[in-house]
Amino acid sequence: MPEPILSARGVRKTYRTAAHDVEALRGIDVDIHPGELVTVMGPSGNGKTTMLNCLSGLDDIDDGTVLVDGEDIHALPDAERTAQRAKRMGFVFQSFNLIPVFTALENVELPLLVVGTRGKDARALASAMLERVGLVERLHHRPAELSGGEQQRVAIARALVAAPAIVWADEPTGNLDSHTAASVLDLLFEVHAAGQTLIVVTHDLTIGARGERVLQVQDGRITADGPPSAVLPDQPRPPRPPRSTVRPNRPPSMWSPPYRSSSP
Amino acid sequence: MVAPLPLLVPLMPHVTAVTVRLAVRNALRRKGEALLVVLGSLLGTAIITSSFVVGDTLQATLRDQARTRLGPIDEIVLVHDATQITPAVQRIIAKPLPQTDGVLPEITAQVAVTSQQSGSGPAHSEPDAFVQEVDFDAARSFGNDPSATGLVDGGPTPAGTEAVIGADLADSLHVHPGDRVQVFAYGHTADLTVRRIVPRVGVAGFHPGFASRAPNLFVAPGTLEAMAAGALPGSLVPEGRVLVSNVGGVFDSAGPSDAVVFELQIRTAGLGGIQINDEKQQTLAFADQQGRNFSRLFGLIGSFAVAAGVLLLINIFVMLAEERKAELGMLRALGFRRSHLVRVFGLEGTAYSIVAAALGALLGVGVGRIVVQVTEGIFSQGRRGITGLQFAVQPSSLAAGFGIGLLIALVTVWATSARISHLNVIRAIRDSPEPAPARHGARVAVAATAGVVLGALLLAAGISRAQPIPALIGPALVAWCLVPLLTRLMSRRYAISLPGLGLITYTIAAFSLLPSVFGHSDVAVFFVQGIVLVSAGVVIAITNDDQILWVTNRLSASGGGLATRLGLANPLAKRVRTGLLLGMYSLITFALVFMAVFAAVFQAQAPRVTADTAAGYDLRVDSSPGNPITAAQLQQHAGIVAIAPLIRSEAQFQSDPAAADVTQQLTGFDESLLAHGGPTLSSRDPRFGSDADAWQALLTSPDLVIVPENFLATGVGPVRDAVHVGQQVTLINPDSGRRHPLTVVGLDGSLDPAENGAMVAARNLPTLVDSTSASRFYAKVDDRAEAGRIAQELQGSLVANGLKADTFRSLVDDRLDVQAQFISLLEGFLSLGLLIGIAGLGVVMVRAVRERRREIGMLRAMGFASSVVRRSFMVEAAFIAVQGIVIGAALGLVTGYSVLSNSSSFSDESLPFTVPWLALLALAAIALGASLLAVSLPATQASRIKPAVALRISD
Repeated sequence: MPEPILSARGVRKTYRTAAHDVEALRGIDVDIHPGELVTVMGPSGNGKTTMLNCLSGLDDIDDGTVLVDGEDIHALPDAERTAQRAKRMGFVFQSFNLIPVFTALENVELPLLVVGTRGKDARALASAMLERVGLVERLHHRPAELSGGEQQRVAIARALVAAPAIVWADEPTGNLDSHTAASVLDLLFEVHAAGQTLIVVTHDLTIGARGERVLQVQDGRITADGPPSAVLPDQPRPPRPPRSTVRPNRPPSMWSPPYRSSSP
Repeated sequence: MVAPLPLLVPLMPHVTAVTVRLAVRNALRRKGEALLVVLGSLLGTAIITSSFVVGDTLQATLRDQARTRLGPIDEIVLVHDATQITPAVQRIIAKPLPQTDGVLPEITAQVAVTSQQSGSGPAHSEPDAFVQEVDFDAARSFGNDPSATGLVDGGPTPAGTEAVIGADLADSLHVHPGDRVQVFAYGHTADLTVRRIVPRVGVAGFHPGFASRAPNLFVAPGTLEAMAAGALPGSLVPEGRVLVSNVGGVFDSAGPSDAVVFELQIRTAGLGGIQINDEKQQTLAFADQQGRNFSRLFGLIGSFAVAAGVLLLINIFVMLAEERKAELGMLRALGFRRSHLVRVFGLEGTAYSIVAAALGALLGVGVGRIVVQVTEGIFSQGRRGITGLQFAVQPSSLAAGFGIGLLIALVTVWATSARISHLNVIRAIRDSPEPAPARHGARVAVAATAGVVLGALLLAAGISRAQPIPALIGPALVAWCLVPLLTRLMSRRYAISLPGLGLITYTIAAFSLLPSVFGHSDVAVFFVQGIVLVSAGVVIAITNDDQILWVTNRLSASGGGLATRLGLANPLAKRVRTGLLLGMYSLITFALVFMAVFAAVFQAQAPRVTADTAAGYDLRVDSSPGNPITAAQLQQHAGIVAIAPLIRSEAQFQSDPAAADVTQQLTGFDESLLAHGGPTLSSRDPRFGSDADAWQALLTSPDLVIVPENFLATGVGPVRDAVHVGQQVTLINPDSGRRHPLTVVGLDGSLDPAENGAMVAARNLPTLVDSTSASRFYAKVDDRAEAGRIAQELQGSLVANGLKADTFRSLVDDRLDVQAQFISLLEGFLSLGLLIGIAGLGVVMVRAVRERRREIGMLRAMGFASSVVRRSFMVEAAFIAVQGIVIGAALGLVTGYSVLSNSSSFSDESLPFTVPWLALLALAAIALGASLLAVSLPATQASRIKPAVALRISD
């Protein structure tokens, strides 16, 4: 078993308001290994997204440690933690969060530019990545000119383009119809097939069932951790969309991380 | 302000009630946002109100001269030779004078007075003291209010060697009761003891002219007559004045003045050397006119700032609408009509506008107070100095400032609301951008064609009637109405840029293309010109700004390059918002640079103006009309090598028979003035081959005159209604009323630093006026002597003659300093507009940070350092500020150059253009620095946004 790419111990997080405190995470202990496809499941309001935020370093924690590649990211100053995110992580959110004044190409370039890739190279790599997600015709369109599914593909391309070791996806299909959602999920899961670590937060059992490992989060704790068959009740297999709608005429080999991977 | 509105809700129809409730809740929901909106819109009202306050103060101060300088005095019968006063008084009081309640005779003279040197300090002198002999008891009973005469505590009429001194003269001579003063008049000296000091009020404060100081000295009856017994030729002998008081109080007694003057003219008819003035009526009219002039000038200069305020207001409401787009779209989806949306948004805006206008009006009073203080400092240096400005705010001015500010805000708010109501429901709900404008339809083409025709007609009307504003607005209308027509033939970029460039070219060149239309433009024309130029410049800029993308796309991926890309993305994408911000900066920068050009030009012309004025001499030497020095006295002084005597007088002039007559200086000269080159003319009758020829012509012809450019000019700011070469003016002898037509054959500059007024041959003066004084000389000093030192020596040795000697350079510098400081004051006032621009940028950035929270969160999640986020906001602000400054400065410089080279608005001379580098750099540095400072707080806030919080990632 390789060393975990992410190791969390005793992670606690409390949201404090004037009226009351909400203990969102009550001691999260988890190890995630390189190349794992982990789905985080649980009812709404039980701490799934807070766990993603805290384990990825997007949010501060009150207690515990989070090691990414052996480095305690919450012990780092904000600037270094930000740099770690840039090098090692990619994010896909439910609401896409594309930069509205940038084109699809410019949005996808951003993670490359932030790690110091030359502008010309960044443009070429972002173009290639958008071609891979089937948006070669939409390179110069702004987000508002794209459909929801297209926007999420741009978001996925943006999350993957710098070949991060860990890709976090928070309800990535929450804003999409079932057909588009399936194609987006296919895209994401192919990332995992290429060896990247993928952590998907979802409340959808059918999505959870497609993971290799499921973390069940309830009341701020991981209450179950294991393969879907052990954690989830039996699920009917969702109808699979025809492959051609996802990425026509693309060989699977194209999904290997093309540039750099920090995973061991 | 909005709190009481819900109380009315139950009384309203349901939909109206909902719209009101929505408006109120939106206004109250985010108090910080509401505060920003109010702050952004109150500044315009503040500027409008402050311009009224400046006018009120000037008016109140000048009107107060009716109390301090005149009191019960309404009309004055001036008897040029005091020995003739008795018959004049006898005629006036031969029978009761209707509508009057007092007649008071006095003998006066303008002479030099000094305090005697005491053990503790040096002697002080006043060369232009106004010495009066008046019966104090009669004075106190003059009019119906003894306290208005200023002599209630004056005691009995001075007797023997007693003197009662006015407070201003006591102050300048540093004397107190019991001290001794010396009066120098007509070659004699009188030693007097100060018995009492009286205030500058009423009869005690009366002095000729409009100066705000009254250097008065009251002496025993007979004193002046005795001293004048041996008066030398050329001395202005003591004058007699018969003061007349109308029935009524100090400020409401001028009504019957015309009738009283008429009656006085009848009663004194046939007496020579009589001049009758409706002094109080003139004072009040002058006060009202000046108040209006200053309100207008500051109002027009403030218009640039107000226009910037309007742009800010539009920007704020456009942003507010974008923020509420989804909400408004949802309301439309629920069945609300467009009119309901207009009402929701309009009501909210109205609430902000009312609060902003009220606060702005109050702030305007404060701004006005500051302007008044600075103004006082500047005006106290002027010849017609105004000191002791009485800060005044008329309720009507406050109401007008509030009303105009509110009206501008309401028009902006409701027009913006109407535009917003046309949103597409689906696009609004999905927060999709508006599509690119489709090719314009036939209806637009017809309207655009009509606009082009209307613009052309306006231009034609402007040219044919010499009206500059239609000649500016017409071409602007043509240019912008051409855009929809040209888009059918070419790309949008060219369809906008070509008419825009054409408009800029025309507007700048208009001064040389159409000199008869733009020759004498006033401030309102420059305001319209600024609006037209800046709008064209900004529209061209935002249309072509995307060209900058090829630069940004090649920027390195380093932190700086990345921040620049991020920072430029938003202003390049949101062109309307960027255009509004650019407009604010450009407009104010344009006006400031335009004024800086003139300030630099005026300052730079000091050596030339000195040479042009001095006529080859070095000093202007004035002495007391009552005790003038002679040419021989002056020539005896070591270092003086040549002199030119000038005869001083005053006369009334009319530019045409219908115009009111204006009292102006009149100076007579002889051949000696031309002996060392003569004064240079800024323009002359083409019949004369040289300036010398024109001056020589005056010596031989009694019908010719040379005047300064601003002779008979009215108003403040650029010269207006001034005379021109070839024009005939009418000189009216103030004593006899005889009229003499004179033809202007030359203009001798715009400043008239020597204060000669109209110039005629000295030998012709007696045919024009009765009363003259040989009390001015131009003096040339030895090349080896220093003129300033000679001037000091003269003043020290000829105190008894009330001598004042000035180098021409110091006279020019004084005049230019006052001019430069006045421009500085206007620039300072205008800088309030820059404040609006900077504050506006800050407000827009605060809102931008809120608007882009999720965007920032995503950037931070992707690993963008907080410093990059911060820098991106700074780059955005700098991009707007720099672009705005560059557009405004470039247009301001080019326009300044064009106006200076081709227009006679500021001078008949072609003034040399100077780039005010220092002012430009200072303006750019201050504007950019302050902009970055204003944006640093929201930029820092943006950089501190927690990604998880910004993304609102919740389970």
